[in-house]
Amino acid sequence: MSIEEKVEDYKKTLAMFPNPQEKYQYLIEQAKKNEDFPQELRIDEFKVNGCQSQVWLVPEEKKDKLYFKSDSDALIAKGLVTLIASIYSNEAPKDIANSKIDLMEEFELGVILSPARRNGAFSMLKTIKEFSQKLAN
Amino acid sequence: MINVSDLKKDFPIFEREINGKRLTYLDSGATSQKPSAVINEMSNVYTNMNANVHRGTYVLSSETTTKYEDVRNKLKDFINAYSSDEIIFTKGCTEGFNFLANSICKELSAGDEIILSEIEHHANIIPWQMVAEKYNLKINYINITKSFDLDLDHFESLLNSKTKVVSIVGESNMSGMLPDIQKMNSLVKEKTDAIYIVDGAQLVPHRKIDVQELGIDFICVSGHKMLGPTGIGVVWGRKELLEKLDPVYGGGDMIEEVFYDSATWAPVPHKFEAGTPPYVEAIGLGAAVDYLSSLNMKNVEKHSDDLRIYAKNKLENIKGLNVVHTNSKVAGCTFAMSVNGVHATDISLMLDTFGVAVRAGHHCVQPFHRKLNLDATFRATGYIYNDEEDFDILSDAIEESIKILT
Repeated sequence: MSIEEKVEDYKKTLAMFPNPQEKYQYLIEQAKKNEDFPQELRIDEFKVNGCQSQVWLVPEEKKDKLYFKSDSDALIAKGLVTLIASIYSNEAPKDIANSKIDLMEEFELGVILSPARRNGAFSMLKTIKEFSQKLAN
Repeated sequence: MINVSDLKKDFPIFEREINGKRLTYLDSGATSQKPSAVINEMSNVYTNMNANVHRGTYVLSSETTTKYEDVRNKLKDFINAYSSDEIIFTKGCTEGFNFLANSICKELSAGDEIILSEIEHHANIIPWQMVAEKYNLKINYINITKSFDLDLDHFESLLNSKTKVVSIVGESNMSGMLPDIQKMNSLVKEKTDAIYIVDGAQLVPHRKIDVQELGIDFICVSGHKMLGPTGIGVVWGRKELLEKLDPVYGGGDMIEEVFYDSATWAPVPHKFEAGTPPYVEAIGLGAAVDYLSSLNMKNVEKHSDDLRIYAKNKLENIKGLNVVHTNSKVAGCTFAMSVNGVHATDISLMLDTFGVAVRAGHHCVQPFHRKLNLDATFRATGYIYNDEEDFDILSDAIEESIKILT
């Protein structure tokens, strides 16, 4: 599935939850499914700056494709980073770097995410894009 | 007695719904909501009389200047200052501390000591750290006890001939603790020649303050935490001390005479207020002071005390909730909280879905959070427009949120 198709998929799923509490619960479920993050990778090198809680994103390159492992000490942030990591995982660095899609706009998370958390989400995306850009070059 | 349901009608924001629920605003420790009296007064100035203060020789400027300067009288009465000249307008408490730290400490000698406490807001730590480094001063911190109060024995042991400044919170923005200012100030005056400064950011909005009775030297006040607008605050200081201090900011309005190579300062208070002051905000603060005075600060205090007792009982009975709050008989209606294994931002995001507004983070008290081994807490603070129902809603929402998040 392409980045755009995955985004479309998540959009449809999120639309099934009309109120913010249900949306958060969905993110919490995603967080709970994401259990394989190695504790030893919870280090500053992989920490995403600008989040209210601690968020870690670890890129991994396998056969010309990028994969992202993610974690956070807060559940809702972890759900969000899990979702973002799954959108950009199994993609070529070039495709990630060139993707113009604005996830925050697509998911209409602006209302339920406070500006501080929006910054957090932007930081997650920035980390992914920067890493992909480096590899694509 | 404060009738909250009547009083709420004065605050237009409470007509709003959040996520389809009534707004349960419990973040007044960060900023208070504003009554129409404040909003309308500021709008009135811009609509009917706006002109720069102290300069114009025309009707608009004269009216604005009169209104602006009259706010000093209102504040003088509000905190029982000796004179309205002792009221210095600042941008807020933070600027107040930066002004005091810079102005006071440049007269000190290397090795002189400043006493703060472990539970101070960053605004009452960072400015002192910055000047301490510059002038080679030492900062000592009073220990906090297990019940989140100041360790007064430790405080006494820190006082010595080198102590020149003691700057302590008046009401903690984390534990609600109310230090015995009179007692601490007496100890300082007995054992040292240091000045005593009170961080009044949380204290002045909630309690009747009489600076003469307290015997203190300075107090920093935040306007937006006491129903006023943002961008305005006050430093009150004894006039004889203010007269000795040099200004920190230079520019228009603070001078008497200016030459190419030097200048002389205007008398107190204007020598500390460089540039065009935030006069509309100051006038807004004046309207806030009128509003609080009309309620009578003794009633505001009683309301806070009654609500605090109700809230404390309610919150301390929630299973799994750790409440960082003093056990003292009297304290502010402020509760920092945490749930083991649950991040404070998750709880506060969940509470928002119930229409409950609380703050999550370290509340600008990072060193003390670190001491408690907490990354973050979420905090509820009550004010005049909050009642028992708000804390019932909060408690239910916390219980529901814990269920969802664990």
